[in-house]
Amino acid sequence: MISFVEILIRGVMLGSVYALVGMGLTLVWGVVGIVNIAHGEFVMLGAYFAFWAFALLNLNPLLSVLFAIPLFFLFGGLVHRGLTERLVKAPELSALILTFGMSILIWNLAQFFWTNTFRSVPYLTGSFPFMGFVFGKSKTVSFGLAVGITAALFLFLKYSKWGKGIRATSQNSEVALVCGIDTIKMRMVTYGMGIALAGAAGAIISLQWVIFPQMGGAYISKAFAIVVLGGLGNIQGALAGGLIIGALEAVVTQYLSAKMAQIIPSLTILVILLLRPTGLFRK
Amino acid sequence: MAFLISVPFFATDYWITLLVLVLVFAVYSSGWNVFSGLTGYTNFGLAWSIGLSGYVSSLLIADYGVFWPLAWPLGALATSIVSIGVGYILLRIKGVYFAISMVALTEGTRELLGTEYLSPITHGGEGVPFVAGIKLPGLYWAILLVAFLTFLIAYKMTSSEFGLRLLSIREDEQAAETLGIHTTRDKITAFFISAFLVGLAGSIHFTYQNYIDPSFAFSIHLTLTPIVMTLFGGVGTVFGPFLGAALFTFIHEVLWAELTLLYMAAFGALLIVLILFFPQGLLGWMKEKGILPRTRKI
Amino acid sequence: MTSKEPLLRIEDVVKKFGEIFALDHCSFSIEAGTITGLIGPNGAGKTTLFNLITGVLAPDQGRIYLRGEEITGKKPYQIARMGVGRTYQIIRVFPRMTLLENLMVVGKGKEGKAHERAMDLLRLVRLADKKNEYASDLSFGQQKLLSLAQVLMLDAELVLLDEPAAGINPTLQNELMGLIHQLNREGKTFIIVEHDMNVIMGHCQNAIALNYGQKIAEGSCSEIQQDETLLEHYFGR
Repeated sequence: MISFVEILIRGVMLGSVYALVGMGLTLVWGVVGIVNIAHGEFVMLGAYFAFWAFALLNLNPLLSVLFAIPLFFLFGGLVHRGLTERLVKAPELSALILTFGMSILIWNLAQFFWTNTFRSVPYLTGSFPFMGFVFGKSKTVSFGLAVGITAALFLFLKYSKWGKGIRATSQNSEVALVCGIDTIKMRMVTYGMGIALAGAAGAIISLQWVIFPQMGGAYISKAFAIVVLGGLGNIQGALAGGLIIGALEAVVTQYLSAKMAQIIPSLTILVILLLRPTGLFRK
Repeated sequence: MAFLISVPFFATDYWITLLVLVLVFAVYSSGWNVFSGLTGYTNFGLAWSIGLSGYVSSLLIADYGVFWPLAWPLGALATSIVSIGVGYILLRIKGVYFAISMVALTEGTRELLGTEYLSPITHGGEGVPFVAGIKLPGLYWAILLVAFLTFLIAYKMTSSEFGLRLLSIREDEQAAETLGIHTTRDKITAFFISAFLVGLAGSIHFTYQNYIDPSFAFSIHLTLTPIVMTLFGGVGTVFGPFLGAALFTFIHEVLWAELTLLYMAAFGALLIVLILFFPQGLLGWMKEKGILPRTRKI
Repeated sequence: MTSKEPLLRIEDVVKKFGEIFALDHCSFSIEAGTITGLIGPNGAGKTTLFNLITGVLAPDQGRIYLRGEEITGKKPYQIARMGVGRTYQIIRVFPRMTLLENLMVVGKGKEGKAHERAMDLLRLVRLADKKNEYASDLSFGQQKLLSLAQVLMLDAELVLLDEPAAGINPTLQNELMGLIHQLNREGKTFIIVEHDMNVIMGHCQNAIALNYGQKIAEGSCSEIQQDETLLEHYFGR
């Protein structure tokens, strides 16, 4: 029999990765003002990156996670400069359609080039006992990586020059402009960071689950639920939100069914938007 | 119009089928437009209205033996009445959040209808195959009628004072309220009309398919294609959605024939180009250039 | 002899945002047919007061009465239909609608009549020739006039103007104030928020001064003008 505590722990470990995705989305949404529907696709790309690096270059997937960060950061910055920056001032529907178009383009290209065959990265298998519980190796390492990246993110935002600039831009972009902060660059950096988080999350995910072109879809809906839970633009909120969603998913899967667990993101969004639209946490 | 009515007498089945789909999606697009295009509340849950109506009418036909001329309006009515409640709750949420909540509603309803708990009524995830006793030329005329009705309603709504009030909601909802406009009532009314029209078309759509299941009935494809069609033609215009549906289907047929594997990718790329360079759609662009008069009646 | 019920009565109204009192137990009355100035430094609570009167926000405590009827907590569209119109500090007309549409959307009465009234009002503010242009194409001052025309379309008895004279040239200012006086003679009541003391003193009969959400003075303009401590303390005279 699995204890409730063990399920919770499982959920938190699961949620730590979701949190990475959610934090990336809320960062882009809150600071750049773009709702990035293609966010899940970047997660998918991150997973495929780890897969191909492993399959073709025999690159240790843990290193892939590390490499994904700067790679996806640059990629994100380019994507933003070329596409999404143009719609920062446009009505919201436009950005939604643009990122939706991006989403379709990306996963269909992935499907075209890499086919629908399920892929995986069988790097870490097996489990180990710890303090009376049994932990999967890949899940634990994933958790560790997620924690590490999250910590790095928070430190960056708090202490670095760019981090402060991002916080300023998210609070009031006009004032930030006046203070000499190059908001265009700031948005590019932020978008890049958001995508970097997504890509890294994808690489981490490749350690645990199967990889296929449409996998982004599940992550985008969880990410939305996380952003709504945590409050738009609220990164700590997204962290908490991710853990909550992960925990909920683990609990519902165990006690009801995996199918029922799929309703969680939708239900969360509806409930929060109705009862506490600004999110559970104050900024 | 007379031409359109007479089509089944000389056209091949291929063309009639194509027209049926064009008309179905034209109604979806126009239905989406009369709500979202006018009020500015981007409804990303069109599939919800379609799927709900489709399920009600299909189940009525399949399991309860209801005759289709009754089942279709009942389905549409069911979904539009529920929309009043949903609208009352969700339309107080603004902007992007409204869009997200409608997606969440659609996804949630789809999952719900697929669960084991409800399958005695809904047949769960396997879907409902059924035959309705109406076949191709009949279906064509039915959807033609609905499309015509939709066009009239769209015209009346867009060029009326009601339409102006909806536009004011899009422009500045709070200012509209302080000018005495009962925004909640107007929003919900438009939402109701939109749901009824797309519901009706949806019921016909699934009858045409002789099959309904949750993943198709509530698929994001049914929400997004009408939106893209409307974007093609011009959001907020009367003819835009219809034009967009025709144009889009034509392009779709071409793309599908030429680029089968990359068809969806091309579609995505097309969306990107469209939104970046032609956000007002064909009609909007024509009005701007002066080719068409800048009146709300078109 | 019974005293006439004032047009607007604010009774002990409180509005907090978090810990800050935007309005701190504020009370006053406005008689019908007057032009009252609402003055005070930025953040004193003037716009919040407008938001409460028009129903955009509800007070945390206190009540508001219009013609003796309580309107506290009513919805904005209800209060507007009861005869309260307002303009905004940052002009809020409907940008992608024509001038004619901007007025007709307020539409009172039957279809035909709304069109007539709209045209009359456009002529009044001398914008009739632009009736089919988008509101976003108007100049700042013209948008202000359009905004006023919208309120008139509502046939509001009580008109709240948030900084009507700000940012427009003196000629237009005079035109605007002249219009206000004309409407006042026809029976409309005005509450005007302004920072320009000349406008207040030159055009208003009474004034109410707010600071930190509290009413610090109320009376006729001449009384306020002579209140030395007030002037010195709050307006640095």
